[in-house]
Amino acid sequence: MSTRELTCVVCPGGCTIVVDVDNDETPVVTRIQGNNCPRGEAWARQEVENPMRTIASSVPVRGGDFPLVSVRTLRPIPLTKIREVMEEIRTLSLEAPVEIGSVVLASPAGCDTEVVATRRVKAAAPCAGA
Amino acid sequence: MSQDYDVLVVGGGVVGCAIARELSRFKVSAAVLEKEMDVGLGTSCRNSGVLHAGFNYAPGSLRAILDVKGNSMMDDLCRDLKVKIKRIGKLTVALDEEDEGTLQRLLEQGRANGVPGLEIIGKERMQAIQPGVEGFMALYSPTSSIISPYALTIGLAENALANGVNFHLGQQVVSVTPLAGKGWEVGTKSGERFTCAVLVNASGLFAADVCRMAGITEYSIYPCRGEYYVLDKRLDGTLRALIYPAPKKNAPGLGIHLTPTVDGNILIGPSAEYLNDPEDHSCTYDVMAELRREGKELLGEIRMTDYIRNFAGIRPKQTPPEVGGNKDFVIEDRKDAKGFVNLVGIESPGLTSAPAIAEMVRGMVEKHIPLLPDPAFNPVRPGSPFFFSELPADERAAMIAENPNYGEIICRCEKITKQEILDAINNPLGARTLVSIKYRARASMGRCQGGFCVPRITRILRDEFGWNPEDFLKRGGSSPMFVGNVRPKGGVSR
Amino acid sequence: MNVKTLETTKRDVVVIGGGPAGLAAAIAAKEAGCGDVLLIERDRILGGILNQCIHDGFGLHTFKEALSGPEYAARYIDRFHELGIEAMEETIVLSLTSDRVVEVSTRGTLRRIRAGAVILAMGCRERTRGAISIPGNRPSGVYTAGAAQNFMNLENIMVGRKVCILGSGDIGLIMARRMTLEGASVEAVFEILPYSSGLPRNIQQCLNDYDIPLFLNTTVTEIVGKGRLEGIRVASVGEDRAPIPDTERFIACDTLLLSVGLIPENELSRDAGVAMDPVTGGAVVNDSFMTSVDGIFACGNVLHVHDLVDWVSVEAAEAGKFAAGYVRSGREASSCRIPVRPGSGVRYTLPQSVSGERDCILSLRVAAPWRNRCIVVKSGEREVARKKEMRLHPAEMIRIPLKKEALSGCSSLEVTVE
Repeated sequence: MSTRELTCVVCPGGCTIVVDVDNDETPVVTRIQGNNCPRGEAWARQEVENPMRTIASSVPVRGGDFPLVSVRTLRPIPLTKIREVMEEIRTLSLEAPVEIGSVVLASPAGCDTEVVATRRVKAAAPCAGA
Repeated sequence: MSQDYDVLVVGGGVVGCAIARELSRFKVSAAVLEKEMDVGLGTSCRNSGVLHAGFNYAPGSLRAILDVKGNSMMDDLCRDLKVKIKRIGKLTVALDEEDEGTLQRLLEQGRANGVPGLEIIGKERMQAIQPGVEGFMALYSPTSSIISPYALTIGLAENALANGVNFHLGQQVVSVTPLAGKGWEVGTKSGERFTCAVLVNASGLFAADVCRMAGITEYSIYPCRGEYYVLDKRLDGTLRALIYPAPKKNAPGLGIHLTPTVDGNILIGPSAEYLNDPEDHSCTYDVMAELRREGKELLGEIRMTDYIRNFAGIRPKQTPPEVGGNKDFVIEDRKDAKGFVNLVGIESPGLTSAPAIAEMVRGMVEKHIPLLPDPAFNPVRPGSPFFFSELPADERAAMIAENPNYGEIICRCEKITKQEILDAINNPLGARTLVSIKYRARASMGRCQGGFCVPRITRILRDEFGWNPEDFLKRGGSSPMFVGNVRPKGGVSR
Repeated sequence: MNVKTLETTKRDVVVIGGGPAGLAAAIAAKEAGCGDVLLIERDRILGGILNQCIHDGFGLHTFKEALSGPEYAARYIDRFHELGIEAMEETIVLSLTSDRVVEVSTRGTLRRIRAGAVILAMGCRERTRGAISIPGNRPSGVYTAGAAQNFMNLENIMVGRKVCILGSGDIGLIMARRMTLEGASVEAVFEILPYSSGLPRNIQQCLNDYDIPLFLNTTVTEIVGKGRLEGIRVASVGEDRAPIPDTERFIACDTLLLSVGLIPENELSRDAGVAMDPVTGGAVVNDSFMTSVDGIFACGNVLHVHDLVDWVSVEAAEAGKFAAGYVRSGREASSCRIPVRPGSGVRYTLPQSVSGERDCILSLRVAAPWRNRCIVVKSGEREVARKKEMRLHPAEMIRIPLKKEALSGCSSLEVTVE
């Protein structure tokens, strides 16, 4: 059994939540203390048992006014899937133009989200960095 | 296959480049071998940039003679080479009774050395020159001046190059062997071979090493490091002249002082610390703390936010720390090694003396090979001593209308334009590092220290000159800036 | 072209800087009825620092979404263009006078502009190695975190492979994660203070998630390397923040990122004689965001360093609105000045004075981390406003609204932590 101290991020209150955890391999929460609301409790449980994250990265673009387009996951993915998602993102390549919000990768590593472009890249004279 | 020259100059510092430029007046083939990827990267770019008047040296010594001569040559030289010089004068200040005697001695010594315009002045004139200056009496030397030492070195090198001297950058001399007939064969680390009738050893911190390669063993160099702070241009104008305390006996240098630079910064330093490694240009915690302390004492207006950078330069001293002091220059035409013109221990006032040293060396070279003046010699270097931002607004507007690159500002802190950056990248010596751009265009020398300009310069080099990330070197081959792309260029191939 | 004197044009509102502050200010000025607004931006695109902040978390308050920097910027850029506001990109302001004349330089053009009102929105720059005097040599491989972010996200350049980071502010933490995701090995983050100045969310998601250790009370004592960085020496520091000699150790790395503070870029402000606040590093302003120089306004990071872009946009919109009002009426919205002073527990408050003629918001930062305290605004003994905060941290700006009614009769205000 181990204890973890977390700072809740659900609201700016930032409660310090203390969580008792059984079995660090596949963590199971046995007790939660310190939260001021039920959202904090739910968050703490999720955060210990199956932390979810959004990630941002870049994809190269050919023929654009930028060599890279920034991308992000629309919805959080499990922390444990980040490596696999990054590997998939690294295989991507796009042609300009690219619009904000366009889906560059659906269901990355089987997760229920999309990876979308977050910068507008216009078609332009070849940029040597791309 | 070796490259043959009449004269080989080992060392591309301010002295080596001055010698090269002097030789380029004549119909001789000459080359400079420089181990770094650019000229002046040793001691020449790492000092206070002061041109000394010449009262600090014993009459009849080489330092006295060559400094005074060199100082008198600087106006013409800077005009021809387009190098900024400011004749701001110096106050050597007496703070106690001992100093009063020192000033008198320096005045007499200076007069004996032929230093023009020297006089002892009192508080009133001192205050007129520098309001608020400490001390009751000062030696005023109007020919003391400031200059950019790397601008001078580059100016000398480029003019020498234009007049036919070859510059071999990135060539570190590792062997010097006498040739049977006459002259020398020089081998470099990269395996290149050069031959010459006369070898000029102007290798500064490594002069004793090159001596030993040629079988001359009586010299040793004791590296003595001086650390500096560079202060923000906010303080530009607070120092109107050089202000030095009267020197104390046997000090290894002239002590920590404040020096205004020709570009508007102020330097605090240099310190003095003997080292083993002639290339250890680190700055240290204790010395930096001492520089801050002394600087604040000398100039109360200094704030923490005024410190923008540190650097260090190393003096090639000829005597170990126990002995201390300052030996005279060694400039000799060796009798035991025919055609070996040897320069050892050219520390301060080496910068001021450089053009006069070059003339003296030329006189020695002349004893070995005939030097016929080259009528095609052009002493004038194209360009301007001023940065674009220093020109009046109307002139700038006209130049911008003609060349749009002058309107695009790349270095925000120093207001350096794209054209100046392009000129620095396209420099005639072919130096291809970030510091080469820095020393020519001043980019990254401001308060943001390259935060704004370096990404923009990177983009120019990549997009307009086709550089890849691995081509970006800070000072040379062992200082790459980057490790590669984040994503492959042109995207991932399917 | 034969130019005798420099061409001077007149514009009503000139905004210097096209980042989130400048964009919001220009939009607000236009929406407040000023037809002639000009925005000057030194980069080739609008958006400022947001363009390189590809991580999300922007706009939670403004748009109720967790956007990335470029997306947040795009919302404002679209509105900016929709309103037909003019922008001069790749243009640098060389000087600003106290009578509101700017000299600007761009490809092919040098010109002067006389402004009815100027809005300073130049943002900030990063504190450098030279400014904090880290001992050692000066090899390649030492970057400020923002510069490394620029190289990575905008120029497709990887600056190094084995990274140490000095400074646990958010920029350093974000870059720890970014570089790790791109295959670099981030050895550690060092922080000279006894607490991190980054958000707890970033400590978890940028460091803990990737097992990157954070060493508090530690600083870099030497940078080692002749050509490229070979490593750093770090040491623990005592209460005086000075290194403790016996604790020094060497860590091999090829890259050192510095995240050691942001400095508002006020060179132009000083040119114009604007009075500065030594604590914020920015101008002294009233609740219309006008500085000590008539008609010169300031907002965003150049005024004080923000942590949430949402509040930059709110603040800048106020400045834009009042700048437009200044041009229209020819004078300041109010000459009344109730000085606001930071008291016990408060590092600074902004604006440094309020008019008392309208509702306004005080922004402030506390001096140390606390839990469960109140921010109290008093006029003498009378309490004017109070706000309970569960979590107070120097790294997180706190905002407290002041009602016009509560300010009547006040001659000065003091803000404290209770």
